[in-house]
Amino acid sequence: MNSTNPYSSDFMPHIWPIGGGKGGTGKSFLTSNMGILLARQGFKTLLIDADLGAPNLHTIVGLPNPAISLSDFLNKRVPTLQETVLEMPIHNLFLISGAKNKLDIANLAHEQKMKVLRAVSRLDYDYILLDLGTGTSFNTIDFFTIWDSGIFVCNPEPTSIENIYRLIRSVYARKIRQVLKIDRFRSLAEKAEAQNPDATIHHPEYLLDMLKTIDPEQGAKIERILKSFQFKLVLNQVRRQDNPKIGALVCKIVEKHLGMRIQFIGNVSFDERVHEAVCRKESFVDQYSYSQATLDLKVIIKAITGVTEEQAVAS
Amino acid sequence: MKKLEDLNFYELLELAFDASPFEVHQAYKEMTQLYHDDSLASYSFFSREEREKILAKLDEAYSTLMDEKRRSRYDQLLIERGILEKSTQYQGERMKLGLMYDAKRPSTNTALRIRERLKPIVSSNPVIQEVLASDVLSGRDLKKIRDELGISLEEISELVKVRVVYLHAIEDDQFEKTPSRIFLKGFLRAYAQCIGLDADMVASRYLKRIHD
Ligand SMILES: Nc1ncnc2c1ncn2[C@@H]1O[C@H](COP(=O)(O)OP(=O)(O)O)[C@@H](O)[C@H]1O
Ligand SMILES: [Mg+2]
Repeated sequence: MNSTNPYSSDFMPHIWPIGGGKGGTGKSFLTSNMGILLARQGFKTLLIDADLGAPNLHTIVGLPNPAISLSDFLNKRVPTLQETVLEMPIHNLFLISGAKNKLDIANLAHEQKMKVLRAVSRLDYDYILLDLGTGTSFNTIDFFTIWDSGIFVCNPEPTSIENIYRLIRSVYARKIRQVLKIDRFRSLAEKAEAQNPDATIHHPEYLLDMLKTIDPEQGAKIERILKSFQFKLVLNQVRRQDNPKIGALVCKIVEKHLGMRIQFIGNVSFDERVHEAVCRKESFVDQYSYSQATLDLKVIIKAITGVTEEQAVAS
Repeated sequence: MKKLEDLNFYELLELAFDASPFEVHQAYKEMTQLYHDDSLASYSFFSREEREKILAKLDEAYSTLMDEKRRSRYDQLLIERGILEKSTQYQGERMKLGLMYDAKRPSTNTALRIRERLKPIVSSNPVIQEVLASDVLSGRDLKKIRDELGISLEEISELVKVRVVYLHAIEDDQFEKTPSRIFLKGFLRAYAQCIGLDADMVASRYLKRIHD
């Protein structure tokens, strides 16, 4: 690790993909503001705009025309990913922009994706936050299953909850597929679908049920993997009248019925001024450092780093 | 991971084997909220049939565990299957001996769990907070708090091993019905602590009226 912060640990997954089922949930808002808070606490932090279809992290952090971006690495204009890293005016904060991508870059070939993911794994930062694209597109699931870590972002609305469950089940199914390898997965999926046409897409839990009867050893292995995930859930844009327990309940449902561990790490309040901050291209947590939303974000940062702001800054 | 069909009623409601009726009731309420048709948290997760199946199983668990006879028959079944040990079984019947204090206190765990469950409700419930804002407390005030928490005097009696008549006396401000001032204070403290209140605070604010 490069930074002098003694709290940063090699044992914790320090790469955090941030994804959610829907556009407008607040992934980019959370990525940028969490990044700023981490940097201010002394962690060397890199933000990566991995929303290849609709990059806009650079705009949120106030860098309208980034000179270099992720596509320069993909197109081999620069040999290493590190060379696409931009320094930000905030000490300890860095950005790999997604701007200037060719429009069709959202459909990356598999090898290209793997190349990016491997390169990200080799970067040396305390925290790497990846702002992911929308929905269950191939990309989001890739990111969530490669490091078995990630932050799901959701709003307390039926549409958003519906999408997050769909994403969670996709990650679940992908993980089973990864462990089983293609051929076995295919034959398993066929068997499960013969019993229940919904099995693969809507109810991947049937896949695991079936696997457990056919091959208990593999089934137990997958169960262990699902339990060992480091996934987190954040509820964003929570208004006063919303039930603050929704996030914890969602995690409970997933753990009880899918056997998959997701930790609820907090609500982030809805704040009208987020819009203003984005329009003025200012950082919300700096402009409104005592707002409830900023305090909420600090609670989330603590859940990720394991230390309070005071401990981090003091060291 | 166990499938829903394979869970026993205690696992289903996430309860300890010696859970009191109050806890059963609370757990059932929480669970039905989670699985109900218009629960936001589980929106779209289940099909209609799955939801109905879960709710039916919850109802069955609830009606069994709330009925002392049915519960003890169900427990017997679990004992025979080696799932439940006799010593950890809920001892509802034994507490109705009418003793002022029961020598055996089988449910200190239960009492502790209930207290921990009630404390956050006490601190966040506006009605209770309003009652507690005053620096004197009457029996009626205590009853108001207890009603908000939804726990019966019979249950408190079982948990703290104080006879129901004395608890009624506390809520009715009929001090003469308790054996002595010292007993009254003891009962009062037990009652208060049981429902997640600060025992010293309640005793002093309640007894203040008698001393004054
Ligand atoms: N906590 C919040 N309170 C108020 N508005 C928010 C909040 N989080 C995000 N927003 C607003 O929601 C919109 C979408 O946020 P954004 O981060 O771009 O979503 P995503 O990246 O998930 O598509 C933005 O206009 C932003 O201003
Ligand atoms: Mg975005």
